[in-house]
Amino acid sequence: MSKSKKKASKEWEPNIVTFCCNWCSYAGADLAGVSRFQYPPNIRIIRVMCSGRVDPTFLLKALKDGADGVLLSGCHIGDCHYISGNEYTDERFKKLHKIIIKQLGIDEKRVRLEWVSASEGKRWSEVVTEFTNQIKKLGPFKKSN
Amino acid sequence: MTQMKKKGEIKPVFSDNEVYMDKIYEPKMRKLLRRCYQCARCSGICQLSKVQKFTPSRIIQEILEGFEEKIITSGILNDCLTCNSCLQNCPEDVNFADIVRMARYKMRQRDAQCLDDSIAHKAMYTTISELMSYSHMEPKRDLSWVPKECEISDTGEIMYFVGCQPYFKFEFDELDNVPSDTLKIISKIEDKPIVVRKDESCCGHDLYWGQGKFEAFIDLAKKNYELFERAGVSTIITSCAEGYRTLKVEYSKLFDDFSDKFEVKHVLEYIYEKWKQGEIEFKNPDDKLVDVQFTYHDPCRLNRFLPKESTLIEDIREMFGKLKSLGYSFNEMEHNKKNALCCGVSSWMNCNERSKALRYKRLLEAKAAGTTMVTSCPKCILHFSCLQNDFEDIASIEIKDVSEFFVNLIHKVEKKKEVK
Ligand code: SF4
Ligand code: SF4
Repeated sequence: MSKSKKKASKEWEPNIVTFCCNWCSYAGADLAGVSRFQYPPNIRIIRVMCSGRVDPTFLLKALKDGADGVLLSGCHIGDCHYISGNEYTDERFKKLHKIIIKQLGIDEKRVRLEWVSASEGKRWSEVVTEFTNQIKKLGPFKKSN
Repeated sequence: MTQMKKKGEIKPVFSDNEVYMDKIYEPKMRKLLRRCYQCARCSGICQLSKVQKFTPSRIIQEILEGFEEKIITSGILNDCLTCNSCLQNCPEDVNFADIVRMARYKMRQRDAQCLDDSIAHKAMYTTISELMSYSHMEPKRDLSWVPKECEISDTGEIMYFVGCQPYFKFEFDELDNVPSDTLKIISKIEDKPIVVRKDESCCGHDLYWGQGKFEAFIDLAKKNYELFERAGVSTIITSCAEGYRTLKVEYSKLFDDFSDKFEVKHVLEYIYEKWKQGEIEFKNPDDKLVDVQFTYHDPCRLNRFLPKESTLIEDIREMFGKLKSLGYSFNEMEHNKKNALCCGVSSWMNCNERSKALRYKRLLEAKAAGTTMVTSCPKCILHFSCLQNDFEDIASIEIKDVSEFFVNLIHKVEKKKEVK
């Protein structure tokens, strides 16, 4: 047991910053935990009241300060607790991808927007597992020089 | 925690960077200030002192008396506009803006003041600069703005250094025409294709002056230096006043052979030279006479920050005077040339009521001088046009970049000699 643990720790593990809105995605993640759906432990969840609170700068800053991937998650369009917060997020996110992420030469797969509702615990674990695997494939964001 | 991590990252290249660091950073502030004899002219002229309590001479005195730590931790130096008006009027050539720049580096190290709070737009654009400074990052710029008639290449003699304008599109649309118009001007004059690179990095101006992130600045400078060498360019033209200053002065400070290898020109300077050499002339399209009253806002980086021997300020006025025959009459604003007022925000620092008051004052002057205000700094355009949304009385002023202003006026003179 201890041997395999040691071996595993040598492998590179991605750091993933996740922003979850309080009403849907955070509750969804909660449900995933309560229902014991497994997903990789690489994500660090930051709870915000609404996905609209997440300024595009936060995503860039996360990458800048050492994250290998950033996941932003909110309520489905139409379900937002604040009526239209996630619509703003959607719009800004598309623009961020098109103008900044692409032009900076960052792989677009590293920054992702997902809608997960409070009842989708299963989906949450699937999304996180898939995203983590994707980042693992891409490798570390900062290639050590 | 992040601070420690950052230091760790820098380490592998640190020995190299230390040499560069020495050239742009002097840890003993008092050494640079000793000449000051407290005439307090700087406090009288300081642009910021008109809208808030700010007295550079007092701050200098306090540092000299040994309260450097207090000044740095108080964060008062965050407010300075680094407009250089004080240096302009100082009999002893005390470069206060330079001190502020170094103090901001110290603030970062102390972790005492969170500079990030006073960066406009939640530090979006400075974060982009910093991301670009990482050695593994290779920007892939979108070049769809390049006009069809302009030929571009990856290597060549003359390069157009675009700067950050393509990234500003995220929030602003005022600058959409600046890169394409500048390129149009250059390609009109030059026969060869112009170098425009996809992998061009930020020049690092904001990190250097505003954010006190010298390490990232040095990394960016090194990246760009390599890029210029790879592209084999000898002349670099930029349409941005801040980029011009950084490439021309700061980079030559870092790399001894920079100024020998590359000639840096602002597009305004370039137009003037070509006009003086008789290669271009100014004509209205269709030869129609217009009636436009225009004025010119001197951005600080292309004004008080120019090398002392530069005559650019007078040169451009000579050129503007000549436009009268086309119907463009040039009027000076109340404060002009070296006394020009500041737009209030430099390096994305401190966009607040006070800096807005400065901007408002400037736009009132512009309104009195004409209907169009031309300037050569893209960020000045952004800041001014942003304020125009808030106040109706100044909304009528048309703010234009020099490239937008000149693009249709410039015509290449056909060389008759060659025909003979
Ligand atoms: S103008 Fe120069 S000499 Fe006079 S107080 Fe200011 S820094 Fe000192
Ligand atoms: S640089 Fe400008 S704002 Fe700063 S002290 Fe000098 S005059 Fe005042």
